[in-house]
Parts: sequence; C-alpha cells; structure tokens
Amino acid sequence: MTTKSYDHRPKNFIEHLASRMSWGKFIFAMTLFFFLAMVLFPFYWMVASSFKTYAEIGGRHPVYIPSALRWDAYKELFGYWNFQRNILNSFLVAIPTSIIAVILSTMGAYASARLKFRGKDAMLNSILIIYLFPGILLIIPLFAMLAKIGGLIGFNVQDNLGILVFTYLAQTLPVALYMLANYFRTIPEEIEQAALIDGCTRSQVIWKVTLPLSIPALVSVVIYTFMIAWNEFLYALVFLNSRDMFTMPIKINTIFNDPTPRPHVVMAASTIMTIPIIILFLAMERYLTEGLSAGGVKG
Amino acid sequence: MTSLPEATKKYQKKRWASLQAQEARLAWKLLLPTAIIVFGLVIFPAIFSIWISFHKVNLSNLNDVFHAPYVGLDNYHRVITDYAFKWTSWKNMGAYITSIVYSFVSTIVTIIVGLIAALLLNRPFRARGVSRAVFLFPYVAPIVSVAFVWRWLLDPRPSGVANDILMRLNLISRPLGFLSTPGLALILVIVFTGWRYFPFAMLMILARLQAIDRTLYEAADVDGANTWAKFINITIPELRYVLGALFLLRLIWTFNKFDDIYLLTGGGFGTNVLPVLTYQFSFRLFNFGVGAAAAMILLLTLIIFLVFYVGLFMRSTEEA
Repeated sequence: MTTKSYDHRPKNFIEHLASRMSWGKFIFAMTLFFFLAMVLFPFYWMVASSFKTYAEIGGRHPVYIPSALRWDAYKELFGYWNFQRNILNSFLVAIPTSIIAVILSTMGAYASARLKFRGKDAMLNSILIIYLFPGILLIIPLFAMLAKIGGLIGFNVQDNLGILVFTYLAQTLPVALYMLANYFRTIPEEIEQAALIDGCTRSQVIWKVTLPLSIPALVSVVIYTFMIAWNEFLYALVFLNSRDMFTMPIKINTIFNDPTPRPHVVMAASTIMTIPIIILFLAMERYLTEGLSAGGVKG
Repeated sequence: MTSLPEATKKYQKKRWASLQAQEARLAWKLLLPTAIIVFGLVIFPAIFSIWISFHKVNLSNLNDVFHAPYVGLDNYHRVITDYAFKWTSWKNMGAYITSIVYSFVSTIVTIIVGLIAALLLNRPFRARGVSRAVFLFPYVAPIVSVAFVWRWLLDPRPSGVANDILMRLNLISRPLGFLSTPGLALILVIVFTGWRYFPFAMLMILARLQAIDRTLYEAADVDGANTWAKFINITIPELRYVLGALFLLRLIWTFNKFDDIYLLTGGGFGTNVLPVLTYQFSFRLFNFGVGAAAAMILLLTLIIFLVFYVGLFMRSTEEA
C-alpha cells in the first residue's frame, strides 16, 4: 500500500474531497449520517419544541427552529402544573432505589462470587428467571397482595412511594447482583486471601479490599438502578393516583392526555426528565456500556 | 506435617468443617435480603397469579382476595372469546396474533439495525467514540419522553413533521393519520421498537465483532475474497451465537413489553398486544381474574416458544 496523499500541494476543495473518497467510504459516510440523523432528530425536536410558544405549535406548518429561546412552556410547567413536586417524587423514588440496590446486591454478589454454600446454583438460577416474567403478569397479584397486607397492618398501597421503591428493587436486584458478581470474579482471590491471612475478618476484607477495587462496577450499578427507577412507567401508573404523588413519567402522561393539547409543555417536561439521564450516561458511558453488554439490562 | 498427632489432625478437620459452615451461614445472611425481596415481590406473586386466574377477582372483593369464588376456566374462556383477543380477519388480527407478529418482526428489525450500526462502529474513524455514545441515546432515554416525541412527529395534522416532510416531497397529497391507520400503525410501532432497542443489539454484536480473530480476514484476503464473501463466510458464522442469544432475549422482552405500545397508540388501531390487553382487563374493566388469565396465556406462549427454541438450538449445536 502506498502512503496516502495528505501532504500534496493544495488542490481545490472538490478535487481534494474526490481524491480521498471511494464508493465504500461514501456509502459508509451516508449510512453513518443517516443513523446519526435518525437518532438525534427526535431529541433535537424535543429540546427545540420546549422553547416554542402556543403560536408556534399551533401553526399550519411545523416550526423547525424556534424563533427565540422562550421559556413559556417551562413557566407553565412549574406554575400551572406544579412539576417541581413531580421532580422531587422521582428523586424520592430513584435515589433510595439505587442506594438500597447497590448495598443489597453487593452483599448478594459477594456471597455468590466468593463463598461456597449449598444451593448456590439453584438460588442464582431462580433469581435469573425474573428475566422471563412480564411486569404486567406480576402487577395484578402484587396489587391484590399489597392491598391485603396494607389493610392488615395499616398502610396505603396507593400513592405510596415506598411501595414503588420495593417493586423497583425486585426488578433491578437480580441484574445488579449478576453484574456485580461477574465483576467480583475478576478480582484475584489471592488479594483477599492475603488480607485474611494478615488477620482481617471477612467484613474487613469486603470493606477494605473488595469494595475499593470494585468502584467502577458499583458506580454502574447505582446509575443503572437509578435510571430504571427514574424511567419506570407501568408500576407508577398503577400504584399512583393523586397528582401530587406522581413521578415524572406519569405526570407527563397526564399532561399529554389533557384535553387541551400542549405539546411544547410535554416536550419541556420530557427535556427535564431526559437531560439528567443523558448527562449521567455520557459521564459514565465507559462503565455503563460494559455493564449493559455484560449483564444484559432488561428493557 | 506428617508427624502431627492424631488429635491435632482431628481438631484441624473439625475446625475446617466449622469454617465451611461459618462461610455458608455468612453467605445466606448476605443473600437473605435480596432473596426475601425477590421471593416476596416476584416469585410469590407469579404463583399467586396462577391462583387468581382461576378465581373471580374484581374491585369489590380485592381486599378479601383469598375468599374469591373459584370459577374454573371461565376467565380463560372469556379471554379467548374476547373480540380484542381472537383472530377474526386479516384486518382485525386480535391481540394474540398481533403480539406474535409484533414481537417477531420487531426483534428481527432490531437485530438487523443493530448489526448495521455495529458494523459501522467496527471501522476506525475519527468520531467513533462519540457516535457510539450517541447511538445509545434512544435506549437510555426515558420511554415516556421518546414515545411522546414520536407521537408528535407522527401527528395526523398537516403540522406534524412527518406529514409536512412527505407533503413537501409530494409523496402524499393529504395528511396521514400515521398511528390511527390500522396496518400503518403496526408498522410504525415496529419501526419505533427498532429505533429504541437497536443500541442493545449493537453493543452485544460490537463486543463480539471486536473479538473476531483478524487472521481469518487476512487469510480470506490471501484467497482473494471480496467484502461480501468475507461478511457471509466469516462475520456471520462468528456472530452466530450472539445473534441467537440476542434473538431470544429481545423476543422475550418485546413480547412482555407494555410501555411502548401503550404510550404510542394505547393499543388501538390494530396494535393491541397481550400486555396492553392484560392492563385493560385489569385496570380499565377491573376484572383482575380475566387479566391474570390473559397474562398466563402470555406466559404459557412464552414457555412453549422457549421449549421449542432451546430444543432446536440444542439439537443444532449437538450436530455442529
């Protein structure tokens, strides 16, 4: 192969382009462009539309670029729709879910990666069966069961964010445990044994050796569970009834189904819900993609 | 160590056994919270769901569900004779057939799009890292936001983006009701599913692509094979297992998926699927028994499919 002609004397732009193009490259570039456009356009539309006015969304033709950054939609969202309450609810569900999930799954994953005990395989297999169960199948018995237990010991099943945290834990723990156990297995056991021989107890080993080495995996479990709880729709739809208790997805659904169409307000709310997730994802992309492809996130 | 007295040996053995028991106790203690949550909120409800599907449970006796009257197969009978469930004609396929068509076609679409994206990203180019991150957006973004953006892009009024573009290109003369036209709605729901879930397939395929031995391609180059021949004879066989696993996973998840179709069409216009139908029975008509029966039919279909798939898959790997 000859070296490429990057440093030839200046040609005009078209010649320069043509000399570096081939049919293969052209098809490649077009496909890539097509993919990027298809993926990004809905996101562009979401953010751009959140800055439109009633006039711009009600016109005969769609407005592709809003005339100015107008905050009408956001004002309506935080004024009339009291959306800050729903943002708070989403945090109140997602943060406890991710913290409890990472603690419990660390414990379980350590047990299944390092300790020997009878019934381990059966236990792990039964945890993985959850992949198969449709959420819609579980929600009817959960609803009936929790209504019964709630009646007995006196808590309300409806509009109870704590109940939602528990149902999200049930959905996320198996995958979180699986991801962490896989990671723990990559840490050489000799390091832990050395600490044990030096006189550490098991819990000291976990705290001082295993966990500091597993920070990337722990971070990705926290983010993964946070994202699931933040995005979840079906369980929140069934378990929440009052507007004050709605998490963001349910509130957006309510705004969307309001008799007066307010697409720009829906887009403003969607933007608020989507941006933190995208930022979180971009910041942690390296860890997350490993987790996504290793564990296979249910979705 | 050979000269140790018998007593010491015995002591050591005992101590070892007790250490093992200690380890097992610790393991169970560590696993207990997860096990309780998973058992209480997944495995028990799943079994309870079978029970509910044979009993008459509605809003009036929900608080006293354990005394619900037994109705045998009545709930199942109601589901399979329901107009929304059963096949009546090509124009009205019913939720059961629609579910199967939707899941199979969108799984295949998702995998093909994911494969193309993975092949794109497998070539070195300058913006590769950024492109990979951007490709994952549809998968990580909240379903509610992306579904509503799509709904608005596909708005039936002339101010909808899809209508506007198609009308400017003179491909259509009047605005189309994309998500309210039977047939077209199902196709678009499948397109949406492909758009949203291809990144998962892409990631798994990309990981496998990067593990393929380069020397296979070099050998093919020596033999004078062209790109297409290399793709068919090296890449696809190397991806066989990952594609098989992806097909299985995505098919199960798509078959179980409620959000996408509920948010895009609400299950109307020939897009009703079993999860949405289950929701409608349970939380629109508040007939939980019938809802549970619909969910059991869904699960049974899935299990039958799995048995066939595993049977086929096992046989083909044994032959290989």
